[in-house]
Amino acid sequence: MMGNGATGATGATGGTTPLQGGNPGWAGERGEFTQLSEADVRGSEYVGRRPANGGVGGAVSSMPYMLPEKDPNAPLFEGPYAERLQKILARYPDRQGALHPVLNMAEELHGHLTPQALSRVAEVLGLAPAYVRGMATFYTMYNRAPVGRYFVQVCTNVACNLCGGDAVLQAFLAETGTEPGETTPDGLFTVMEVECLGACGFPTAVQVNSRYFENVEPGDVPEIVRQLRAGEKSTDAGDGGAN
Amino acid sequence: MAYPYRHEKETRVLSEHFGDPVARTLDGYRKRGGYQALARAIEMGRDAVIDEVKASGLRGRGGAGFPTGVKWSFMPREKKGPHYLVINADESEPGAFKDRELLRWTPHQMIEGALIGAYAIQAEHVYIYCRGEFFEPAQVVARAIEEAYNAGIAGRNVLGTGVAIDVTLHLGAGAYICGEETAQLNSLEGRRGQPRIKPPFPAVMGAFGRPTTINNVETVSAVPHIINRGSAWYKGFGTEKSAGTKLYNVSGHVVRRGNFEFPLGFPMHELIYDVCGGIRDGRQLKAVIPGGSSVPILRADECDIDLDYESVIAAGSMLGTASVIVMDDRTCMVKQVRRMVDFYTHESCGQCTPCREGTAWLGKILRRIEEGQGTEADLDLLLDLSANMTGTTICVLSDSAAAPVVSSIAKFKDEYLGHIHDGACPVAAVAVA
Repeated sequence: MMGNGATGATGATGGTTPLQGGNPGWAGERGEFTQLSEADVRGSEYVGRRPANGGVGGAVSSMPYMLPEKDPNAPLFEGPYAERLQKILARYPDRQGALHPVLNMAEELHGHLTPQALSRVAEVLGLAPAYVRGMATFYTMYNRAPVGRYFVQVCTNVACNLCGGDAVLQAFLAETGTEPGETTPDGLFTVMEVECLGACGFPTAVQVNSRYFENVEPGDVPEIVRQLRAGEKSTDAGDGGAN
Repeated sequence: MAYPYRHEKETRVLSEHFGDPVARTLDGYRKRGGYQALARAIEMGRDAVIDEVKASGLRGRGGAGFPTGVKWSFMPREKKGPHYLVINADESEPGAFKDRELLRWTPHQMIEGALIGAYAIQAEHVYIYCRGEFFEPAQVVARAIEEAYNAGIAGRNVLGTGVAIDVTLHLGAGAYICGEETAQLNSLEGRRGQPRIKPPFPAVMGAFGRPTTINNVETVSAVPHIINRGSAWYKGFGTEKSAGTKLYNVSGHVVRRGNFEFPLGFPMHELIYDVCGGIRDGRQLKAVIPGGSSVPILRADECDIDLDYESVIAAGSMLGTASVIVMDDRTCMVKQVRRMVDFYTHESCGQCTPCREGTAWLGKILRRIEEGQGTEADLDLLLDLSANMTGTTICVLSDSAAAPVVSSIAKFKDEYLGHIHDGACPVAAVAVA
């Protein structure tokens, strides 16, 4: 099992851990996915851990890792995140340029962009709250409402569609018992259709949180959902060093 | 089958190290000759680098195919303030999945090419604009940037030469339009991704109001090879006007999908039937979109062409990103065109009326035809709308939405008429029979 959350857990400001080789999200010609746990879909195991303070300035905007727990009330720019904000600001000639990375950071901590967070970001960057809100509504990846712990986005655009993307979407909806965009009552799953993920050679491409699963067929879906459910309950699910 | 697929006929230049996790570390890349080209370029001097890239015939791989060296030469020679280089890693054209592989397997190759480009155009800062969904590739690039800084390759004193070039990874947040270069600049500046009217061109007024060049990931990834082995070597690949190698990213109904690198001008027939193993399930080829969803569709009988910029234009389409989407004889063209139009509707930035309104109407009309509720007059309406959406907007997203509609009505009219007259998809009926 890949999902051993203990790998390189170094705390919020810790260093980096190595990248995994290969393409573990790739199911080959038939869907045979490595058993999953939550850490596998939050980036920490899959792409290695990065420091919460952003590390080297040039890489500061890269979303260090996906936190296992989202707290919509967490303070936005404290501790390592204050340090990260300063590093971000140093990369752009004006404060407005920092808007994307700062919104990313807020979403990373809170899970979605609350009106309070948008106002706080506006204040920190010296922008009008309405302007920041306008940004948040323009870009698809800024969620303005909570999503499930597993945010499943199924590509149904042309390259995946030719190979059954619609059926994969339907399978996820059926398996979770939801309508598109709706979150399961236990808060675990939100399933949505997504536009092209840029993995057209590996249809159907499915993004679960930060991770891609490739070559997904409808028959693979019950097992993927089952593993995600089990991963959530297992003791090594979280990526521990986040808080 | 193993990942990634390889084919013995390939000419692997950019993709030589795909699948090799060691090559994406700095040590691994250096052991494979990495960063020698950067040192050489700084020795050569800016003008010589631009001349070499001009002479190589390298053209932009993001879709437009503009000569890279010429683009670089548009930047002011006299520097009066910051210059910027933006690397377009916002790959999101339906059908395109080449830059993702370059980012995740060969991040240093891209960074080296970007540093050479930045040096040539006197840019002090490289922004790598990577789409936000590419979390894994972005993490690979982030580590490579970290390694490059720690090794003195990026930063205040590049390779000890006194040249200063910063590199910053910048993540987008899910907007196809930000792949358009001026929308990308707006997005980088913390604005909505809405394209700008040109002129002024980015080389005059780009990111943060300063002279800026935007290059695709694949374009700059070729640059270290050109510097190392010379423009004559690079120009030896491909055709007279389409020089060098290209990643052909093939999706859809072929046996082997994936990225395959060949000299430009590689025959489409050979690509589909030999390299990719032909059509899946023993089906017949119906149509191909040769360059990503924004280019006109080709019928099977139009596909016996070479895949270079000029030949594909001569065939009535465009090479674009060489993202070859293959469709077999079970494909409902009305449905696929409607799906593509839905995409453009979702991704329209809303700035220009013909695009904002036109994409939504195209989708509505196509949907009613698909569902058997259309009339023949709807086809005229679609063509009329498409004409009003072409050449009437700030950027070409509107044109791109109209292109598959127009080309599919021209080439697969019977299929539209089948939906209209029989109230059901004629292809589905044949496929079941």
